[in-house]
Amino acid sequence: MPTYEVFLKPDGKDGFFHAGSLDAPDDEMAALYCRETYIRRGEGVQAWLVARQHIVTLDPKELEVTAHRQHASNDGSVVAQRRRARRQAGTE
Amino acid sequence: MRVWETMEDFDQFIVNGGTVEPGDDMPSAYRQEVFRFIEMHANSELFGGLCERYWVSRAPGVHRKLAFLAKTQDEIGHAHLLYMVAADLAVKSRAQMIDDLMAGRSKFHNVFHYKTHTWADQIVIAYLVDAAALTTQQAVLKQCSYGPYRRILRRIVSEEGFHMRHGEEMLLTLADGTVTQQNMFQAALDRWWEPVMHFFGPPTKDGDLLIRWRVKSDTNEALRDRFVQKFVPMLQEYGFVVPDPALHRNASTGKWVIGDIDWAALRATQSNVGPDSAARIELSKQSWDNTAWVREALHVP
Ligand SMILES: [Fe+2]
Ligand SMILES: [Fe+2]
Repeated sequence: MPTYEVFLKPDGKDGFFHAGSLDAPDDEMAALYCRETYIRRGEGVQAWLVARQHIVTLDPKELEVTAHRQHASNDGSVVAQRRRARRQAGTE
Repeated sequence: MRVWETMEDFDQFIVNGGTVEPGDDMPSAYRQEVFRFIEMHANSELFGGLCERYWVSRAPGVHRKLAFLAKTQDEIGHAHLLYMVAADLAVKSRAQMIDDLMAGRSKFHNVFHYKTHTWADQIVIAYLVDAAALTTQQAVLKQCSYGPYRRILRRIVSEEGFHMRHGEEMLLTLADGTVTQQNMFQAALDRWWEPVMHFFGPPTKDGDLLIRWRVKSDTNEALRDRFVQKFVPMLQEYGFVVPDPALHRNASTGKWVIGDIDWAALRATQSNVGPDSAARIELSKQSWDNTAWVREALHVP
């Protein structure tokens, strides 16, 4: 039986989040199980069900390198250092 | 997929606050421990739902019946969520877990090995057992190292909160009711206090793997104590007597101290030979068998 991943969109500014999963023989039953198991108290104003086998997964290793791209972000330390140097030069 | 070369590396990852995900190459001992814990939790939710369902038709008034119906659905829902998380650990399939449970090969929490005698028993369960479950679940939710379990617990814990408040509302109805109602609750409390103390488990042993790998963040004694400090004064305030002759307040700390616990009854439930274990397992099997036609009908393509 296919496993579906359940994504819910709460009311308001937040986007869809992964709520969990369920097993169902087809899309129609998946929708029924989703309502019964995941949306009993208005937890979502929209719901997406995706068969797990259809999800395209990326290799986490390829994603990890992007967390260390210094050239793509700036923590402001160089600017702070330059400013300090200018202040010191001005007071001398 | 993350791989840890040695157990020391894995332990360090956990100590550093790491979160393990289903795709990770986790040590098999960790996989087994986490699975065992979640499977038992799932089984207990299912049995909780079945126990709740019994009272849907018996609860007094339409409002209570509807509330019990909603609660039953919550508990079955919790079981469903947890079985999905457990199945992803690929130790057993969901079908295998159900098979094992119905055959009496699996464990479920001690409180579901007892009979409910009166409506007040069910109120004790709704109030104290749901509160005890909430206490233990909050401690897991706080910093559980297994990501999917922790995330699904957030939802479960918020629903247990409703159950506890509903239980307290019913308790107050009896507490503010007639002497007969008050006596009924006291009698139920007398029956259930020991099982509720047992619910938190025997004292945690040194080197407990669930603590080491941060599945649980508190020892069983710490959780039991947290519950005692909160619920002993509450029950007393509502006019009831906690059935523990050794219960007293430590003069210097002001904390409640309970008497020694006899673990014999807990051990019986752990081997599925508690007072009502066989009947509970049989009931779950019957309800599973009785609904086979529904599953078949729904799953015909
Ligand atoms: Fe529950
Ligand atoms: Fe509950």
